[in-house]
Amino acid sequence: MSAASRSANAPPRLEPFRLRGANFNLLVLRLLDPRPEVVVPAIGDQFRRAPGFLRFAPIVIGLADLEGVAPGEVDFAGLAQGLRGLEIVPIGTTGGTPELRNAALAAGLPPLRQVGREGPDEPAPPPAAAEAPPPPGPVAVAPAAAARPALVVDQPVRAGQRIWAQGGDLIVTATVNAGAEVIADGNIHVYGALRGRAMAGGAQNTEARIFTMNFDPELISIAGYYAVRDGLAAAPLGRAVQVRLEGERMRFDPLG
Amino acid sequence: MAEVIVVTSGKGGVGKTTTSAAFGTGLAQRGKRTVVIDFDVGLRNLDLIMGVERRVVFDIVNVIQGEAKLNQALIRDKRVDTLAILPASQTRDKDALTKDGVRQIIEELSRDFDYILCDSPAGIEKGAMLALYFADQALIVTNPEVSSVRDSDRILGVLQSRSRRAEEKLGRVKEHLLVTRYDPARVERGEMLKLEDVQEILAIPLLGVVPESESVLRASNTGTPVILDAESIAGQAYKDAVDRFLGEDVPHRFLEPERKGLFRRLFGGRAA
Repeated sequence: MSAASRSANAPPRLEPFRLRGANFNLLVLRLLDPRPEVVVPAIGDQFRRAPGFLRFAPIVIGLADLEGVAPGEVDFAGLAQGLRGLEIVPIGTTGGTPELRNAALAAGLPPLRQVGREGPDEPAPPPAAAEAPPPPGPVAVAPAAAARPALVVDQPVRAGQRIWAQGGDLIVTATVNAGAEVIADGNIHVYGALRGRAMAGGAQNTEARIFTMNFDPELISIAGYYAVRDGLAAAPLGRAVQVRLEGERMRFDPLG
Repeated sequence: MAEVIVVTSGKGGVGKTTTSAAFGTGLAQRGKRTVVIDFDVGLRNLDLIMGVERRVVFDIVNVIQGEAKLNQALIRDKRVDTLAILPASQTRDKDALTKDGVRQIIEELSRDFDYILCDSPAGIEKGAMLALYFADQALIVTNPEVSSVRDSDRILGVLQSRSRRAEEKLGRVKEHLLVTRYDPARVERGEMLKLEDVQEILAIPLLGVVPESESVLRASNTGTPVILDAESIAGQAYKDAVDRFLGEDVPHRFLEPERKGLFRRLFGGRAA
């Protein structure tokens, strides 16, 4: 929609580059065995039947299953070389102990952080992941999945309009009218009345929340769990509210 | 260059054609060269409401298809000499309208007129899309009623995304809210939406509130735009709206229920 203020590509560009956050769908190769000489041939066997399936595919190496493995025991350089030999491109690691990640980093495989998950893969950084202070050590250089720009909408979202903040948060500084639909893979903030439909958290981000100054929706959904207006009799309608998931139940808490 | 103003609402029966006739006449009375185009091809009501139905020879479809010149199809109003009407066709359907055809007509009219009012049909189909496509400004006609407000909201979204100004990034279409058939007594009884509620949902500047009035039906039936009836409160409200549109600071009227005195109560006086 034209009202969205994310596009700013006016022609005369002076700067040579721009740094932007973005999300990518990547395959994770979870190591169950630390030895490249075991892993690499096994991958080769598996994908020989489907040649080209992983050709030049960027892949993230999952370290979560290597519990109790000392960093010296894993030959990351050899692993990376073996994978490249199969035309698979390792780009980083996820999960595992800080020692293992440092060892991988030394071999040119930086640790990546998974979006919307602070679960077992991460050694519990504090909440509010985007602004979280970086973990100690070289882990601080985590390149991908840093703060994603939120989609900001400064005009009323009107009946029949649908706004989707792909891969991030959606902030509407006006009202979302009945018959309109706002969707975000992250959180949804409405600094006006929410009278239409709001769907946060995409398909699986159960941590996503919806905030509004005046809670009066037609439908509300987080990570696929939803409630229609008829099911909101007990919710604090007409007030400032935040919505979140608690297990499989939706919770409506008054704000302020 | 003329300003192109679309009179639209989404919903039918809220007063688009009444507004087009009254507002167009009002602008012309103020000395602005004004033409009102009926985009409701297939129904054709504007010429009736403006009292020129017996003078229709050619229509907008004839002009688009090259069967008549624009000047042959334009009907000059006999009451206000700066006012003209381009009628719709009753025998064709809306597919006879094309974007290029409408563009040519508007370009040609731009040379001779200050304001081009496009009276949109109801709905969001082709006729309505073409009526709003070339608009610089929009009069959003809304009744104080939930479905009318919802449809107006929808049309505002379409204006922002699918008008020429939106597509060619020429800046926003300037929007004006005109609440019609407003009955303060029924609002007070909770039977109609309050003006503030309508404004809160649509969030565009208020140009005017036209009260429900019997004079509107009378005006339609006699083919006299209601703004020409100086006694009518609806006509006065339209005149206020035209004045505001032209930049004057006019306070809003007719927002409170009329308190009937004993005399009027006894003799059943009604709003003129």
